[in-house]
Amino acid sequence: MELLNAFVVSLQAVWADSGFSAFEAGNGIMILVGLVLLYMAIVKEFEPLLLGPIAFGCILANFPRTGFLEEPGLMQAIHYGIANEIFPPLIFLGIGAMTDFGPLLARPVTLLLGAAAQIGVFVALVGAMLLGFNVQEAGAIGIIGGADGPTAIYLSIQMAPHLLGAIAVAAYSYMSLVPLIQPPIMKLLTTQKEREVTMEQLRPVTKFERVCFPIVAAIVISLLLPPIASLLGCLMLGNLFRESGVMDRLSDTAQNSLCNIVTIFLATGTGMTMNAHDFLVPQTLMIIGLGLVAFIAGTAGGVLFGKIMCRVSGWKINPLIGSAGVSAVPMAARVSQMVGMKAKPGNYLLMHAMGPNVAGVIGTAVAAGTMLAMLK
Amino acid sequence: MSHPVTTNPLIIMLINMTVVFLVLTALGLVINLIHMIDPTRPKETKREEVLPAEPAAVEPAPVAEAAADEKGISPEVVAVIAAAIASYGYGVEQIRAIRPIQREGWKNSGRMRLSNRRS
Repeated sequence: MELLNAFVVSLQAVWADSGFSAFEAGNGIMILVGLVLLYMAIVKEFEPLLLGPIAFGCILANFPRTGFLEEPGLMQAIHYGIANEIFPPLIFLGIGAMTDFGPLLARPVTLLLGAAAQIGVFVALVGAMLLGFNVQEAGAIGIIGGADGPTAIYLSIQMAPHLLGAIAVAAYSYMSLVPLIQPPIMKLLTTQKEREVTMEQLRPVTKFERVCFPIVAAIVISLLLPPIASLLGCLMLGNLFRESGVMDRLSDTAQNSLCNIVTIFLATGTGMTMNAHDFLVPQTLMIIGLGLVAFIAGTAGGVLFGKIMCRVSGWKINPLIGSAGVSAVPMAARVSQMVGMKAKPGNYLLMHAMGPNVAGVIGTAVAAGTMLAMLK
Repeated sequence: MSHPVTTNPLIIMLINMTVVFLVLTALGLVINLIHMIDPTRPKETKREEVLPAEPAAVEPAPVAEAAADEKGISPEVVAVIAAAIASYGYGVEQIRAIRPIQREGWKNSGRMRLSNRRS
């Protein structure tokens, strides 16, 4: 009898300590959300390298009593890396090492297209404030329109950490949906004649220009906007690794091993912010809706400014490359190429669209820095 | 957390877009400046020298005839070039002539690649 009692008491203790006893409906819903995101990542291949760990982190975050964020350990270390803005700049280091600024250096005027596409950020900001979000939350939501995951996470952590999960999921989901969202807007806003504009071949860019640009850009932007010095500084450092020609080992590490490791930490940690308590609120649906508005407005802003530049340049700039200003490197540039090829077979816009595309990365970081300076 | 400068969304939008445009314009000026002071920049005149002279006006002619006009271009090469152009959506009747031009770019590029491989 005593043995039976001890057995029952032990079983009760195990049950009381288990996750099942504290499991709530919200956790179940969030695990389902995680499974849907995993399905999208693995079966539909929507940004699998990011959505995969985000989805799994979401599932992990909804197991009760794990103490992930309260007790020292790997999960807390990952959270520390996100909460203290360590991972986004490291991702930018890898992006810098992978980015070819050549098309931008060959045609610097395309920087303006990268600036124009940032209108999406501020349209979403206005929309968010109209829906009742405070100004810091609205700024963090607006940056989804920049289509730049690390910058969105960087800004959210500083302005609205409780919205990080929803903002990151919206940003990465829409980035993967760029080929579906952008083409109808691009076609709607341009005429057949505009889509058929053939652009002149880009001039060759010398090694001197490629090496000087990251150094000078880091100095200029960091002095102008210190809040984003770590983001832009890492982007330009990574690019210097690539272009210098004497730091190949560092360039290789930054764009492969380091970037992959940090992506695992950043994406899993972002998913782990998606606990039922913070995520299952009406604001999440609003954020997802506003993210779509931001993407549409950003694409429209880039294309409309492209139309202006097309006229001003004497029909030498195809307005379709304007949509690439919403960052999402290189997906948005590929969309410009795809739509351009449909309008006129043989019209290769990819390299021309890479200019506004990388300008969009810088533009989004500048927008984030300005909002941090103004609103934080 | 300090107080935001303003909470008027339209003013925030206006100021931020202005700053984004100004910073990226400044960056554009920096890029132009780097290009101007670049000591390794190839001279523009050199480029013009390499370019072939203005091609003389050629009457539209069927591709085969055009090839026949030019010595050293076999009908097979004409067919390959015409097929490549057709794959870009142009009709064969749009090809006015196929002429070899003296351009050293490809030759030099091949030579450089070979010499780089050896080193």
